[in-house]
Amino acid sequence: MIQHKRMMLASIAALAFTGSLLTGCGKAKGTSASSGETTNLVMYVIGDRPAGQDKPDANFNELLKKKMNCTLTVNWIPWADFTNKYPLLFSSGETFDMAYTAAWLNFTSLAQKGAFKELDTLWPQYAPKNFARQSDAAKQEASVAGHYYCVPTLLATYTAYGPIYRTDIMEGTDWNGKMNTFDDIEKYCDIVKKTHPELDPIDIYAQGSEWDDTYMYSIGYRSSKNATNDFLFYDPEEKNPKLITYYECDKIPQFLDMMARWNKKGFFPKSALADTDSTKTQNGKAAMRTHNIDTYQGYAILHPEWKFKYQAMNKYVTHLPFTQDAMVISNTSKNPEKAMQLWDLITSDRDVFDAFFYGILGTTYSVNDKGEYKVLDTNQYALSDMWAARTIEFTRNGEGTPEDYQTQRAGYETFMKSGPEAERAVKFEAFAIDTSKIETEYAACQNVHQQYWWPLELGYTDAKKGLADYKAKMEAAGIEKVRAEIQSQLDAYTAALK
Amino acid sequence: MERQLKVPDYRGKKYAALLSMATPAIIITLAFAYFPMSGLVLAFKNYRFDRGVFGSAWNGFENFRYLFQSGTGWLITRNTILYNLLNLFTSQALAIIIAVFITEITNMAFRKVSQSVIFLPYFISWVIVGTFVYNIFNYETGALNTMLKAMNLSPVNVYDKPGVWPWIICFFNAWKWAGYNSVIYIAAITGIDPEPYEAAEIDGATIAQRIRYITMPGILPTIITMLLLQVGRILRGDFEMFYQIVGNNGQLFNATDVIDTYVFRSLLQNSNLGMTAAASLYQSVLCFAIIMIVNAVVKHIDADYALF
Amino acid sequence: MASSSKLRDRSSSLFYVICYVFVLIVALISLIPFLILISGSFTSEHAIRFGGYSLIPKEWSVSAYELIFKTPMTVVHAYGVSIVITVIGTFLGLFITTMAAYVISRKDFKYRNVLSFFFYFTTLFNGGMLSTYIFYIRYYHLKDSLWALIIPGLFNVFYLLIMRSFVSAIPSALIESAEIDGAGEYRTFFRIILPLLQSGLATIGLFIALGYWNDWYNAMLYINSTDKYPLQYMLYTLLQKTEAMSRIASSAGIPVMDMPSHSLKMAMAVVATGPIILVYPFVQKYFVKGITIGSVKG
Repeated sequence: MIQHKRMMLASIAALAFTGSLLTGCGKAKGTSASSGETTNLVMYVIGDRPAGQDKPDANFNELLKKKMNCTLTVNWIPWADFTNKYPLLFSSGETFDMAYTAAWLNFTSLAQKGAFKELDTLWPQYAPKNFARQSDAAKQEASVAGHYYCVPTLLATYTAYGPIYRTDIMEGTDWNGKMNTFDDIEKYCDIVKKTHPELDPIDIYAQGSEWDDTYMYSIGYRSSKNATNDFLFYDPEEKNPKLITYYECDKIPQFLDMMARWNKKGFFPKSALADTDSTKTQNGKAAMRTHNIDTYQGYAILHPEWKFKYQAMNKYVTHLPFTQDAMVISNTSKNPEKAMQLWDLITSDRDVFDAFFYGILGTTYSVNDKGEYKVLDTNQYALSDMWAARTIEFTRNGEGTPEDYQTQRAGYETFMKSGPEAERAVKFEAFAIDTSKIETEYAACQNVHQQYWWPLELGYTDAKKGLADYKAKMEAAGIEKVRAEIQSQLDAYTAALK
Repeated sequence: MERQLKVPDYRGKKYAALLSMATPAIIITLAFAYFPMSGLVLAFKNYRFDRGVFGSAWNGFENFRYLFQSGTGWLITRNTILYNLLNLFTSQALAIIIAVFITEITNMAFRKVSQSVIFLPYFISWVIVGTFVYNIFNYETGALNTMLKAMNLSPVNVYDKPGVWPWIICFFNAWKWAGYNSVIYIAAITGIDPEPYEAAEIDGATIAQRIRYITMPGILPTIITMLLLQVGRILRGDFEMFYQIVGNNGQLFNATDVIDTYVFRSLLQNSNLGMTAAASLYQSVLCFAIIMIVNAVVKHIDADYALF
Repeated sequence: MASSSKLRDRSSSLFYVICYVFVLIVALISLIPFLILISGSFTSEHAIRFGGYSLIPKEWSVSAYELIFKTPMTVVHAYGVSIVITVIGTFLGLFITTMAAYVISRKDFKYRNVLSFFFYFTTLFNGGMLSTYIFYIRYYHLKDSLWALIIPGLFNVFYLLIMRSFVSAIPSALIESAEIDGAGEYRTFFRIILPLLQSGLATIGLFIALGYWNDWYNAMLYINSTDKYPLQYMLYTLLQKTEAMSRIASSAGIPVMDMPSHSLKMAMAVVATGPIILVYPFVQKYFVKGITIGSVKG
């Protein structure tokens, strides 16, 4: 009898115990709710939330309440987590309104799978000012399977790629100052190797080298997916551009020989693909890196004393897809119209934009007489990570931006209108690929590319044999099926251009 | 007479009591492991965010194709199994040897200190170990080549010799886990009845004999359990370890790629939840088949040692 | 007699030599990287970049620690969270695991193999991140709750099975005699089994505690408030931030920013690991040989 009671007691205790475990108290932060009066919108961005972010958030909400009778809660997904948490955000059914998206967040792939809300009527109706200012290319890039799924940024960025190089270390040497061809680059690196042996002349690390892309751009090819690390290219100058691979391009053997030579000369470490340090240039371990012009601006601001310079090597510069930074509205949003109106307000009202993107003038940031901004306390504050909000009119350059940053960018715009070939290249800006039918083969090709091309490109494997291996493996992975599919998309796009 | 009558009643009560003791564990397992298992269907679905897990359309085995495209399936499966076998044997053997030796040490200070110290590698995350590995093996400034140059030998580029890396990975895996695993064996050894040891002492057995006839049989159940547990994970690679040690060195992939790293690279630019689930299911099914067979074999030999 | 005992002495001293040397080597191989880690945390970033790692800092600097403790409250909070979930989780988890291990170790329990398989199956098949996430967040309402950090580690089947092998080492004669004396299962468990399981409890308790202390994965998935971040998650964020950003290198929009330096990562690793290393020596006193089983006699 006593046994019975004890046993029952124990089992009840055990059950109650585990029962209490299940009723955890947790609330989603900032649920999207319309409490009759003020609507609260929720936005997700990627980045580490600055320590003092509460202040600019409160300031922005004050302004927003006055202008639109709503408030905004910004939730930050830390850099370390975004690969996992970003797709989870859209698949877990959480209620929120807007989020940042970009090509590196797999915008197209997610849009094809229904992660975002369709904006065909929402966008023109509730964000008319924004919609009117978008270029045709941008609108085309924002559409997937004929419907709009994001609002792209209104800030133009460029496909310019080329060496960002230090010139302070060249002082006192016999360097001729030229940096227009790959030979010039080689001469520069030779001098660095001789005079500053502790530096890596060229910055290469575990994410692969971008010299292959730089080379292809310099001889006039465009990447099929409009990004680096691609394996299919086409020449916009052709009447009906045909996709080619690296092993079919006749200039590649000489490129590979050049890279093998650079490897032998020790311009970059032999184990670079195992080096996870991506900050070698900005921290003074490397002298030169090939990248886009905005990175150049960043390095120059961080280290003006190193006298960085930039030279784009592209034959044609065009705009990068405007979906580099974009805003999407979630399918679970309860106030998509308000969210869209908010976006219109941010991208068209100077005060609202400044309060949103930069913060509080005098507290979180300051502006000098050149219109350049500076964050006043980098331990507490930073700019907003909603880079999609930037527009050409509203964006400011950081203090310390080199003079030629603006002039080079203006130069690209002029160049894009400078003649029929340049204009033709621009026409292909908006071409984006749809890999939904070839996902498996595309993933397999991507793998082969990383495994066989990356070392080959750096001269780690023998040029002839390596290229043959690469070709064989790509064919086994299904490159021909991929090429056929993408070629048909490219042909359709080219036909529509006429 | 009384006892006989009691038995059926008693057994029912006993079973009820035992079950109630296991109830918290059962509830946790049901709620947090079995219910979410329904997500396995993702492996066969063409997942769409707007239709959710159960609303998305079926697409048969399509999600599995990328694993086997271009003959990689066999390579990564073989690599995963071989690495796990190699790591299993080396780290368990090392752990047992360490445990046996440590428990034989009579100097308490030395024993306590070493017992604490061998645990340290467990705490160092693979990301940091990765930077250490790079610092040892990199061609220009690595510790290995610096040493070779100091001895007037020519430097070696370890990163283009795929054959060496299985051993390097095995070494680091053992380094990280041997201390951790040895704790289990140390606990098992200290749980052995001291009587046979006293008897052996009196009979004049050597240390080797003592270890061979008392200690080892005493921890045999633990050894078998540990081995079986590791076999049940034979298709799962430690992603972080491989990724941090090997990095993006394509030349080494044929020798060091395991299922987890291959899947990671394939799906980095393509958020395909169905394909991720398919890879996991593939690993699960193979692990299941293998452990069922091995467990049955062990059960046949001695039912007490089997896992279930 | 004398000669064989001399032989025995020589072989045993040879054994002891091998024993001590081997353990010494293993201890050094385990200790040195950790010392390098500590040294790296006290080395200036410049020295690490151009000189690599070393046992003794080439250029002494405490700037990494200064940075971490600049906002001491975050670190204190994180310590608090880690300690709370480790203590609660270990206590609950050990209790639940040991009880279940006792149940499935009972050879006279008809369903023990069924139960064992029931538990073990969950280590083979896993619903995946998305499904588990949806259950935790949507159905169990554990978003941003400390319970979401405690529950996943409460019941680990590996520890269960290892504990089972420890429980099995206890002679069944003890349990039988308790049965005959009329003790119920609970009393047998608490009065007889638990006291004899000291080294097992210490081992598994230690592992559960370490599992909690080192966990960042659950914090990454379920926690959004910065004041609920455990220590290891803070370390993880620091370590992976550079990793993640280097992968999206070709994006135009992301401004170039200062990345956590090597020495900062090392310092964070030291801060995150520190206390738990001190726990282990305390646990060691349970690893003392043969305290227990004498009670079978008589």
